[in-house]
Amino acid sequence: MEGRRELAYFIAKRAIASLLVIIGTIIIVFLISHLLSPDPAVLWAGPKARASTIKSVIIRYHLNAPIYDQLYYFIIGFFSGNLGTDPVSGQPILKEILYYFPNTLELVLTALIFIVLIGVGLGYIAAVNFSSKKDAFIRILYTSAWASPTFLVAILAILIFTSYIPIFPSGGMYSPSIIPPTRVSGLFVLDSLIALNFGDFVNGLYHLILPALTLAFLNFGIITRISRNGILGVKWLPYVKSAKARGLSEKEINRSHILRNGLIETNTVIAVMFGWLITGTIVVEEIFSWPGIGRFAYSAISSDDYPVLIYVVITFTIFVIIANLLADIMYAVLDPRIRLRGD
Amino acid sequence: MNIIFSNKLSTSGFVIISIFFAIAIVYEIAGNRILPYNPLQINLYQVNAPPSFSHLFGTDQLGRDIFSRVIAAIPIDLGISMFVVIVSAFIGIFLGTIAGYFRGVLEEIIMRTTDLFFAFPPLVMAMAVAATLGPSLLNASISIIFVWWPPYVRLVRGNTLQVASSEFITMSKVLSTPFRKILTRGILPNIMTTLLVYATMDIGTAMLTLSTLGFLNIGIPVYTPELGSMSSILTTSFYTDPLEGLIPAFFIFIIVMGFSLMGEGMAELIDPNIRSHLISRRKRLEEFSRVEAKEGGATS
Repeated sequence: MEGRRELAYFIAKRAIASLLVIIGTIIIVFLISHLLSPDPAVLWAGPKARASTIKSVIIRYHLNAPIYDQLYYFIIGFFSGNLGTDPVSGQPILKEILYYFPNTLELVLTALIFIVLIGVGLGYIAAVNFSSKKDAFIRILYTSAWASPTFLVAILAILIFTSYIPIFPSGGMYSPSIIPPTRVSGLFVLDSLIALNFGDFVNGLYHLILPALTLAFLNFGIITRISRNGILGVKWLPYVKSAKARGLSEKEINRSHILRNGLIETNTVIAVMFGWLITGTIVVEEIFSWPGIGRFAYSAISSDDYPVLIYVVITFTIFVIIANLLADIMYAVLDPRIRLRGD
Repeated sequence: MNIIFSNKLSTSGFVIISIFFAIAIVYEIAGNRILPYNPLQINLYQVNAPPSFSHLFGTDQLGRDIFSRVIAAIPIDLGISMFVVIVSAFIGIFLGTIAGYFRGVLEEIIMRTTDLFFAFPPLVMAMAVAATLGPSLLNASISIIFVWWPPYVRLVRGNTLQVASSEFITMSKVLSTPFRKILTRGILPNIMTTLLVYATMDIGTAMLTLSTLGFLNIGIPVYTPELGSMSSILTTSFYTDPLEGLIPAFFIFIIVMGFSLMGEGMAELIDPNIRSHLISRRKRLEEFSRVEAKEGGATS
């Protein structure tokens, strides 16, 4: 009973902290977009805007009001879901973000599954074969994956797997002939499964694999590194030696003594991973023509669509904060020590 | 210095980085004279030329020589990434030591602000700042520094907390040594190794972020030769002329790889768990070989 109250307290504390960080984020983005620029009106209207457009933008975003009033309007507008309209497409920005967001989520979650599988697997192999050829090879592999620019990997993946050895589709979320199922969760793969349309489901997976693998390849390095070093950190501790002395098999020691304790740090890093994955989606989605929020951000940048860019930045950040919160809660449930540590 | 040459990974990383630094310094001193072409020279008679003896890496969509542009871009990329990391490290040392040494309300304010900035996805927030400030190399650096400093504050504060609780610092406090002296003689030397290893790896990561900004065409002026913005041609031409964008992208990869290898090798040596094992293993090996030599001598 004691433990459950502690857990509830922990979750409440983390949730309030996250909410404060979200409000802080909105304030900082507001300060960037309203104070840093010499002329915010031109920024919000676009560099080639006419005088009349600039005037209407000033009225719409209250740019003549005192700065604290502007902040008030910005925050109130955000929390009431009134993000204004996209000057390029004429659609409400919130609607567009909500349309693109699930697609990105689908990509990021799939990539995360690949990352955990590849990352922990390789880290384990490297640690077990410490300072052998296998270890050296894996270390060079993950260092080079970490050092690759996103666009290099994405373009090479497309060139190799769709042009030279055409085994994957070159882009998009599903074949153009497919009519997407009714949106339930917004994730195409999940929705087609809910609609029991297995043809679409396979088609969706088929389009998902290459971009998700690209994202995973770019980011698995840090997980491999952390799990390798985590496992190495416990591998020579006395309790492992005593397990060996008790005559437990190598396999059993590895599984229940070394992996369990060696991978604690890996857990916390997987949450941080979201931030890097989101960063990667901007380039990966553009190159794979994946209709997600990263591609939306890219098109906003290339068409000088500042209002969209600002709200997409806020969306990205909030997504990362919420992902971290969920991860924190998950670990607190799994590992009681985290709850007791206080912070 | 010894820490760099003690293993193969960091030695090879060091060699790669030294080569690129040498190129950057020579180019900065000699200027465009050593290049076969002016990196900004547009030649519309020779656009998208494939690699040849006159154009080692070919030419881009405006007929500029890619080899010359890559060489001209190396000091810019290296310079900005190092500038970003050095400024962030100084912010980290400044705020981190204050928070870790004086504690109290000041620490609370500094650390909560750091936490807030730490929550931002780096590239995304840098994009927002760069788009607001407009394109220039200084603005690009500012936008990256804006999101780059929080890990340094955390790192320095954590280490300062550790050092500040040790006995020799308490002793100097008793002797009423001025804070400046405690900082430069007591705290900084003890956190420098960790900070340097982290910063070395970080230069590579900063360069990746910079080149991605360039690739997205934010923050970097259009005509500036920067490796990432040279690669941005890939979005339109990767089926027709993939080499045009892949060559600069490949150079980014090699430079960043150099920094990562160096950091990766050094990180192992400062990780206490692994280091103690490495040292004991080396000792055991030495003893073993000594014993073997002795026994070998005895039998012969």
